[in-house]
Amino acid sequence: MAAIETAGLTKRYGSVTAVDDLSFSIREGAVTGFLGPNGAGKTTTLRMILALARPTAGSSTVLGRPYTQLDDPARSVGANLEIAGAHPGRKGRDHLRALAAMARIPRSRVEEVLRLVELEDAADRRAGKYSMGMRQRLGLAATLLGDPQVLILDEPANGLDPQGIRWLRDFLRGMAGEGRTVLVSSHVLAEVAQTVDDVVVIHRGKLVDQGPVSRLTAGGHVVVRSPRADALRAALERAGLGVTVDGNDLVVDAEDPARVGDIAFEAGVPLHELTTRATSLEEAFLALTTDAPAEPPA
Amino acid sequence: MIALIQGEMIKVRTTRTALGFAAATLLLVLAVVLISILAGDPSDIDSKRDALNTGGVMGVTLLLFGIVGASGEYRHRTLAPAVLIAPDRMRLTIARLLAYVITAILVAVAMAALALVLGVLLLPGTEGPDLAGSDYVQVAAGAVVAAALTTALGVGVGVVVKNQVAGVVGALVWILILAPLLGLIDEDIPEYTNAAAAGTVGGTHSDVLSWGAAIVVLGAWALVFVIAALLVDRRRDVD
Repeated sequence: MAAIETAGLTKRYGSVTAVDDLSFSIREGAVTGFLGPNGAGKTTTLRMILALARPTAGSSTVLGRPYTQLDDPARSVGANLEIAGAHPGRKGRDHLRALAAMARIPRSRVEEVLRLVELEDAADRRAGKYSMGMRQRLGLAATLLGDPQVLILDEPANGLDPQGIRWLRDFLRGMAGEGRTVLVSSHVLAEVAQTVDDVVVIHRGKLVDQGPVSRLTAGGHVVVRSPRADALRAALERAGLGVTVDGNDLVVDAEDPARVGDIAFEAGVPLHELTTRATSLEEAFLALTTDAPAEPPA
Repeated sequence: MIALIQGEMIKVRTTRTALGFAAATLLLVLAVVLISILAGDPSDIDSKRDALNTGGVMGVTLLLFGIVGASGEYRHRTLAPAVLIAPDRMRLTIARLLAYVITAILVAVAMAALALVLGVLLLPGTEGPDLAGSDYVQVAAGAVVAAALTTALGVGVGVVVKNQVAGVVGALVWILILAPLLGLIDEDIPEYTNAAAAGTVGGTHSDVLSWGAAIVVLGAWALVFVIAALLVDRRRDVD
């Protein structure tokens, strides 16, 4: 069973379609990056999954049921959205106590999650005095109150300093290590590249790709250096391979370095370097989400 | 539902909003009762009951308390965490409503006690007949009923309007300007407005509405806005 599933999810605001016929599934026990540029529709999608926004069309389930039909949402799903804040005049501990009371969660759990997100020292300060990083930690603490199996985190690294981002990465790894399903949205690839197992990429409200991150980053280029770069480039292009110049290197659109080496050998061109370069998640993301340039007028 | 009310009660008492409105209500009631007794020279039963009336003050302050509290959820964008726990929006809104009403009743009990203590101490020294025990009971009960219904009305308005400033300014314009102007159409009409009805429930004599009729009128105001709030909020996306 998929932990989270959407089918034809659509959200329109007047003439603007924020999410367009979006279908994807998130497998249980995996950390999935929900990726897309700013304004791609990530937050709107998460809000619909969590029943905070009504879809114009389509449906979604969490643990096999619509969110509104979960028996005990707080113990099934922990969600931290950018929009889900604490009242600025309320102390962090009181914010968590109120939520715990609503969900019939013992007060002792409040202290546990405060320790878990390392916010104990600031728990009695009003949330309005918190830094962005502290607010993110408070949001995560609220997310963990019910010790849920599924975590949905919307841009959790927004506003975090490098130390905070590292803490978040370790935190997510820890959650995944406990077998939880984590769906984490982000528009900053560096935050999630080292953490996620799968990705769902959306752009302009539409799904552009989903699957294991290893598949998205599969393939790559062969980088080759030669004192006779021009002759090598000509030989490679004669063999039908795309070549771009990167400083002293030639970057060849090929995955097999042996083939590039053979072409160079047959052309009688000496090689000083022959390496492969894997496609990074960022490169794959940009390839998927960068709009093609408009066709020039005929 | 009880857990939701408990959680909402924690929310109410852990910001300064409730404390601020309670303090403002206390000071205004103190001032109104003292001025009415010491400077108003009450000499008959109606004027003495009117002097102890806290409904008029609470008809304004607790209306604003309800509006500020309910609309504050939208202003500070704090609604989502509660909706994630209780996706049934109607239950959640009812729980919030009851939390505010319970808080208002506690404030009203304190206000009524204050007014009654002042009345018992100061009214026997004034001219005319003394208030009977039943008069004091009715004033105290009226304070509690007026507080509960007025706060429910405020929460309803706050949820419907969402915008805190618009809600507060609109309520004040209604109470201070528009409602009195209705008297130009018919002098009885202002008696049916929420603030005047709250005053009558609290003990002010009205030639138009009996005490019971005033409760019905104020209850109708609250009911209309609470139903509107429940219907509007359940279809609304959480920002």
